[in-house]
Amino acid sequence: MTPEYYLVLAAVLFTIGAVGVLIRRNAIVVFMCVELMLNAANLTLVTFARINGSLDGQIMAFFVMVVAAAEVVVGLAIIMSIFRSRRSASVDDANLLKY
Amino acid sequence: MDGYLGSYATLGILLLVAGAFFAVAYTANRLLRTNAPSAAKSTTYECGLDPAGGDWAQAQIRYYVYAFLYALFAVESVFLFPWATVFDALGMITVAEMGVFVAVLALGLLYAWRKGVLSWTTA
Amino acid sequence: MNDIQLPPIDYAALLPMLIVFGLACVGILAEAFVPRKHRFAVQATLTLAALIAGLVTVIINRDLEVTTIGGAVTIDGAGLFLQGIILVLGIVAFGLIAERRLERGGAFVANAAHAADSDGDKKQLNEAGATEIFPLTLFAIAGMMLFCVSGDLLTMFVALEVFSLPLYLMCGLARRRRLLSQESALKYFLLGAFASAFFLYGVALIYGYAGSVQLVAIKQSVLDSDKSGVLLAAGLALLAIGLLFKAAAVPFHVWTPDVYQGAPTPITALMAACVKAAAFGGLLRVFNVAFETTSWDWRPVITAVAMATMIVGSILAVTQTDIKRLLAYSSIANAGYLLVGVVSLGGAVGSSMFYLVAYGFSVLAAFGMVTLVRDADGEATHLSRWAGLGKGSPLFSAMFTIIMLGFAGIPLTSGFSSKFALFSSAWDANQSALVIVGVLSSVVLAFPYLKVVVLLWLNPPGDETPTVSVPGYLTRAVVGVGVLATIVLGVAPSWLLDMVNSAGTFLAK
Repeated sequence: MTPEYYLVLAAVLFTIGAVGVLIRRNAIVVFMCVELMLNAANLTLVTFARINGSLDGQIMAFFVMVVAAAEVVVGLAIIMSIFRSRRSASVDDANLLKY
Repeated sequence: MDGYLGSYATLGILLLVAGAFFAVAYTANRLLRTNAPSAAKSTTYECGLDPAGGDWAQAQIRYYVYAFLYALFAVESVFLFPWATVFDALGMITVAEMGVFVAVLALGLLYAWRKGVLSWTTA
Repeated sequence: MNDIQLPPIDYAALLPMLIVFGLACVGILAEAFVPRKHRFAVQATLTLAALIAGLVTVIINRDLEVTTIGGAVTIDGAGLFLQGIILVLGIVAFGLIAERRLERGGAFVANAAHAADSDGDKKQLNEAGATEIFPLTLFAIAGMMLFCVSGDLLTMFVALEVFSLPLYLMCGLARRRRLLSQESALKYFLLGAFASAFFLYGVALIYGYAGSVQLVAIKQSVLDSDKSGVLLAAGLALLAIGLLFKAAAVPFHVWTPDVYQGAPTPITALMAACVKAAAFGGLLRVFNVAFETTSWDWRPVITAVAMATMIVGSILAVTQTDIKRLLAYSSIANAGYLLVGVVSLGGAVGSSMFYLVAYGFSVLAAFGMVTLVRDADGEATHLSRWAGLGKGSPLFSAMFTIIMLGFAGIPLTSGFSSKFALFSSAWDANQSALVIVGVLSSVVLAFPYLKVVVLLWLNPPGDETPTVSVPGYLTRAVVGVGVLATIVLGVAPSWLLDMVNSAGTFLAK
């Protein structure tokens, strides 16, 4: 197998995630797209670890997974509290702060 | 197309071509397609059933902080696995270090327990 | 399996961070076990003790230059000075966070998960606020300290998250205007997570290029490698997006006004002073250590970003009608000035750090005074409400005028001396175009500040002019220190300039 395919796959996943963040309206979905981006970065790290023949990339992926889990919890807690206040998780409804 | 600015010129031409491709494709699409909108086409599913009610199905969430904690602790355990393969070769220092790591995690659990997160909520 | 070597750990070098992290953990224990009645006193003491102990150990370590834990942390003169800045500004910001006399129970809500205006929410209106804010502050500050001394990009990413996650939460804890506060937390979180994903993907690409994420190793492989620079350039661009987001540079600034306005004002002050210092500490380190030799590639882009940041920040500041948003746009413009220091590389590190100190003190005093202008609904931040405050509260207005003049860069204030130091070192580094844009935009930026001054003194007070609360001793101390620093660093800046210059630069080996 050529490891380059994985790099391309990761780039595609990252782009899908980034576009998703920009166009989706539901906070949870936006958030899932961010997670997709993080995992694309993980895939890149692991692939480069394979290409470079060093383990560093895999270790880094561990750290990223843990940080991502912490981010999930903080993020869901914030979305939860905003949902309780407004009964909506749409990003468009969060529009009180403007010029 | 060479030199420092030349490489930027390539990029600029690429951007122009990309923009033109987008414009041409969409214009061609608009010119060639038929256009017959009807109300039925805008419904969520075209399978004969009228969608009823809102798209928000609400479920009572209880105990969700417990789930948060589970997600967190399950993932943190990822550090234990590589450690488990090497700790006997490296001696007590790594055991102590992992002890500190687990203690910090336990601190979080202790805090959650004292705040009553681990019990079933009724409201 | 015996070939694994444990990296040596220099605990003395890490001591400042260990103290702050450790006492943050103790703070969590205190939160769990100390009776509610005593919690505030215990937590406040603990936090202050942690920050002061951290500062003392940083001062003791001041001559240390060491790379430890396998290259994950690089303690050097500039890094220690940045840690010191963050701790000093953190101690000052602590005064605002711990203030409980302006409002019953402090600026923070007890239980942020109550729906706004529900019964539970009304009941907690007069309850004491959450004391979790103190451990969260400590975690954030410890993360910022680590961010400034990270020796590799992975540590930097972890530190970035360690200081960001508590800030996301703290933004949503305002006692008043809860919906605004929660909204700002959501925006900050989603955009912050988006930016850190870019940062991480950049790290991954750079790892692919250099085979390592250590800043020093990246520099070395740039020198040695004959690989195509595409991975490096793409990685650097994505990395820069993540860092520039935290620094609030245009075009990654859109969160700043919303978050600054919605967050509880003490937290806004913490973000404006400490996060700015941490973000620029990280930017300076990355560009000076890892990418100095590729400056030919990134300099045009960062120059453009710096110009855009200065221009957009100062022009949009003119149109603002809310004091917190005005200060937010001014912080964006100031990020632009600091980026001038980043572009100028080595020679401007000292003056950038001086700028961070000067700006940090002034902005803490400014937000401290914003918390004082109140009516029945809490803080009155709309500028129209500030008209004519000079009649009833001359001392307050005089101090605010000093801060505004400082921001505007009038001579004999820290705003002038810091801008002068920064621009002259940028001029020496042949960044004359940036200096010209910087000077022109600071002329534009002086206008909104002077508008506020005119508003305070020359406009007649209306019927609805809010009162200036008699500040509690903590806020009084914060405002006093901030105003004093603005004047002292303007009149006699040389001692601090000597200090930043002798602090040395980043260790690149």
